[in-house]
Amino acid sequence: MLKAGNAQAMATITIDNRQYEVDDGQNLLSACLSLKKNLPYFCWHPALGSVGACRQCAVVLFKDADDQRGTLVMSCMTPVKDGAIYSIDAPTAQDFRAGIIENLMTNHPHDCPVCEEGGECHLQDMTLMSGHTQRRFQGRKRTHNNQYLGPFINHEMNRCITCYRCVRFYRDHAGGTDLQALGRNHQVYFGRQEDGLLDNGFSGNLVEVCPTGVFTDKTYSRHYVRKWDLQTAPSVCEHCAVGCNTAPGARRDGKGDPRQLRRVTNLFHRQINGYFLCDRGRFGYEYANSAARIYTPQAALTQPLIQTTAGSAKVHQSLSPADAVARLAVTIAQMRSGNRRVIGIGSSRSSLENNFALQTLVGREHFYAGLDERSLALLKLVDRIQRDPRVHSPGTPEIERADMVIVLGEDIADTAPRIALAVRQAARSAQIARAGELKIPAWQDDSVRQLTGIRTPLLVASAERTDLDDIASCRVRAAPEQMVALADVLAQALTAESGEIHAPDIAGLDTGEFTALVEQLKQARHPVIVSGCGLQSQELLQAAARLAFAVAGHKEANHRQTDSREARAALYLACPEANSLGLAQLCDARQNLNQLHRERQSEHTPQPTTLLVMEADLYRQLPASVADQLCAGVDEIIQLEIVHNRTSARADLILPAAATPEYEGTLVNSGGLAQRHYAVYEGSGWIQASWRWLADAAAASGELAGAELSGDEETHARLQSLARWRHVTQLSVALAESYPELAPLAELGPDWDQTIEGQKTARQPHRYSGRTAIQAERQVAEYKPLPDDDAPMAFSMEGIQFACQSPLQANNWAPGWNSNQAIHCYQPKPGAARLGHSSGQPLARKAVVFHSDSAAGDAARPTADPSDGFRILPLYRMFGSGELSNYAGAIASVTEEPFAVFHPQDLELLSLTAGQQIAITESGDRWQLLAKVSDTIPRHCIGVSTGFTQMASIPGAYIEREQIAPGDA
Amino acid sequence: MERITPELSTEEIRDIDAEAGHYPHKSAVLLEALRIVQQHRGWVSDGSLQALASYLKCPIAELEALATYYQLIFREPVGKHVIYCCNSVSCWMLGGDGLQAHLQNRLQISPGESSRDGLFTLLETPCLGDCDRAPVMMVGREMYRQLSRETLDAMLSELRARDGQQPMSDHREQ
Repeated sequence: MLKAGNAQAMATITIDNRQYEVDDGQNLLSACLSLKKNLPYFCWHPALGSVGACRQCAVVLFKDADDQRGTLVMSCMTPVKDGAIYSIDAPTAQDFRAGIIENLMTNHPHDCPVCEEGGECHLQDMTLMSGHTQRRFQGRKRTHNNQYLGPFINHEMNRCITCYRCVRFYRDHAGGTDLQALGRNHQVYFGRQEDGLLDNGFSGNLVEVCPTGVFTDKTYSRHYVRKWDLQTAPSVCEHCAVGCNTAPGARRDGKGDPRQLRRVTNLFHRQINGYFLCDRGRFGYEYANSAARIYTPQAALTQPLIQTTAGSAKVHQSLSPADAVARLAVTIAQMRSGNRRVIGIGSSRSSLENNFALQTLVGREHFYAGLDERSLALLKLVDRIQRDPRVHSPGTPEIERADMVIVLGEDIADTAPRIALAVRQAARSAQIARAGELKIPAWQDDSVRQLTGIRTPLLVASAERTDLDDIASCRVRAAPEQMVALADVLAQALTAESGEIHAPDIAGLDTGEFTALVEQLKQARHPVIVSGCGLQSQELLQAAARLAFAVAGHKEANHRQTDSREARAALYLACPEANSLGLAQLCDARQNLNQLHRERQSEHTPQPTTLLVMEADLYRQLPASVADQLCAGVDEIIQLEIVHNRTSARADLILPAAATPEYEGTLVNSGGLAQRHYAVYEGSGWIQASWRWLADAAAASGELAGAELSGDEETHARLQSLARWRHVTQLSVALAESYPELAPLAELGPDWDQTIEGQKTARQPHRYSGRTAIQAERQVAEYKPLPDDDAPMAFSMEGIQFACQSPLQANNWAPGWNSNQAIHCYQPKPGAARLGHSSGQPLARKAVVFHSDSAAGDAARPTADPSDGFRILPLYRMFGSGELSNYAGAIASVTEEPFAVFHPQDLELLSLTAGQQIAITESGDRWQLLAKVSDTIPRHCIGVSTGFTQMASIPGAYIEREQIAPGDA
Repeated sequence: MERITPELSTEEIRDIDAEAGHYPHKSAVLLEALRIVQQHRGWVSDGSLQALASYLKCPIAELEALATYYQLIFREPVGKHVIYCCNSVSCWMLGGDGLQAHLQNRLQISPGESSRDGLFTLLETPCLGDCDRAPVMMVGREMYRQLSRETLDAMLSELRARDGQQPMSDHREQ
């Protein structure tokens, strides 16, 4: 007897005369797929449930052992029943399935050779699986006009087989409103009311959800190759701090084009992204191919060209990597001999290993986070709150099951989109629970959705409209301090013995609504609280923590949770960057850029100083005037960077750093999970991981004559260890030894030499074509594939191919299953964690009870007359607020211009009009913004777009009235 | 083509609000709202759809989905008289297809098209529920039964003669 899964209740079923034990409560299709049976399906999706629309998964159900005929049932709509007898192979079932396919194919074009789904098409797979290999239909096919759906998605409606998966994902799962099933009968059309950008931030998933080529990736289309010609490796998305797992695909074109990264697809991770990515994560990859990419080391010309250099920007010239390393080595040698101070500026978007290498090079006391004071303080606060034993950071499945969600101030739809998608599912958990009481299983999607009017309590407190407003049971638009008051009163109400709790004074929140909220929170067994660094308010984070502690106390007192983990409150705190929490482990709150600036200002004995900036843009963190002073105060700026930015424009030496899919490293997500990303491709030009540049230069500096004669022992030892590192996993181990919180890094993923049965994992599938010819235009000989010094993986097709045999394999493929839906072949059952997948390691942070720190108030709290001054509320956009994704062409093309949102009365007060260009000036900086009006923004607040390339750093927290004026037209 | 401004008229709003009172959910009134707009304007233009969407505060795509699902909601202008020609089996047995060909020839249009003078639109329909008096056609809300070529020609002449007195073929008596 074969077993599938290991959950609670089991059912014994017979399929084609063999007995199996399967999880009870699931549908038969899911059970068959768990047993690795090849049973075709279209409309069913593990995350979307069953609707029985496509009739493709038909099997025969027998009444009893004597029943020879049986009846056809749709397996996706049939719950497994203990003792039941089914047949997949019965001729009636096979004929029926083949007939369905043949019917679908009468209208499906014969365009596989020019279709971008070809080779990873679920429809191709299912057609072959059902045995329909000859076309008998000779008639005309139905045709449609296609729509322009924006720069991300191609539309080819002729290929549609009307499975309705697209609208079920887009509308039902992601909450989109602009994609609908139009028309009827033979003429059903999935599209928008008119041409235009699909406005839901998860539209990219249509590419994977659609079983055929109706929706395809338009960015991939521009440099398309077949799936089997891509090399892949597991990666982690670098565009926010959620830490979604991705499977980027790359291929060189053989003609020397350095742009190798072709696309990003989802890589299933049960605790984080499941089956879906957001559009910033899916389409943001283009930054690695952008025109601003740095491929070669560059040095600033010492002699200025004929007075052309405008301002402080320097003119750069390429130099060889050896010269660049030698140049950096000279700086290091001067540091060694005590003649130069080197200040290392680390990055929250680069790996722990890169930051550690920099820290090792310059020494802990010269290492600063590439963050301003405010941002780093917020991160340290998040870190302290998360260490408290009363809270834990929930994963996506836990958020989806929550019976109440409180979102405090964080615009997660724009700063942590995948979490917002999970919260959207949580809004249905009450409906699913009610369905359970009625004995309707959760996977009976259509039936469950019939239960209208039942909603999970969801409080969304925000500075402006959010994309979660449509599912919120209670919406509060407030300034941060009002949210703090609300959280505190809720916490009080939970802990107070008796009533007498008054609703806080917030416009739009009446006593009745507030009492309902308190009651809902008291009733909730699994509430989730979500907040984050977005509003840059430490008080808000602390209030969220206090509310979570109150929830934990309430749980313990009232629900008698036996499991200690169950008694902890779920608190998700969103951080800004992919490795924000990782960087916070490496430095203390003082090691920030403002502190560095102050120290430099007060330094009286000038010493030759180098700013060694690694993957950070100082001008994004600091007001330009401060960044200018910081840069002007040193005699050398060396930058390791992926793309040109305002800091690299001032650098004397620029070294090309690897982007996330080009090197191996560890990132810590908002939940405190350390995850490793692997090199997908070798990188182009002279690109290499930042730590390798530093290690190379450290080694070279040791060879410079006289270097070892001077300097202190400790510096010498540090540089020696840096120079000796060959594999990134050696840095991980060193990190684990240096920082107790990072101890799990030692166990994270296989070492570079840890092969499986002597084999490495192949990045390319067997069918990868053109291996011997791809470089023939330049060189007839076939090059030996580059070795990977960091992971037991090959940049070739040699080695382990199948995902279940190695956690490093990201190419979802199984015999007969060419599309990304092959993932179920590598799960014990659909939706369960991947087999053999290392899902990262949580940081080993010591539990410390958190005490609110009243001294740590928000900087620059308004004390003046509010009619004369304005609070700045940072606002975020999925497209526009991501530093790297702003370099992605498709994303940049739909990013709005930087804006400032005013309350109508404030706009009047300032004699401005909506749609007008305005300027905000502060300490010498001038931001040109588009004035917008919104009656949902609180009075005396200005919502300012944050993180946009044109105005990277945001104005300080408080702006005087005189600083806001009409701008240039 | 748009003769009527996209904004909903007071009569339309009055009718829609009256219908909305009958349903527990707002989404239920969308179809009736489409019908009301069509009753006043003859068809539902993009502008009308936009006006409805902003009045009912619903996504325009949702209205479009409904409008394109129901065949009697017109998203293109139609003639003053919409002729529904039955093409089901009883009418077919009694010469319905010949009659339809005759009609198409007289009006020089195919099903789904409108005559050049803007008077007639021809639509096919599966059954009008009057099989015992086949072949039948419906014009507006009026049935024409046991048709022959002669009576069909008479029907067209009558409709042409009537033109000008009754502006909308889809007009419903409330």
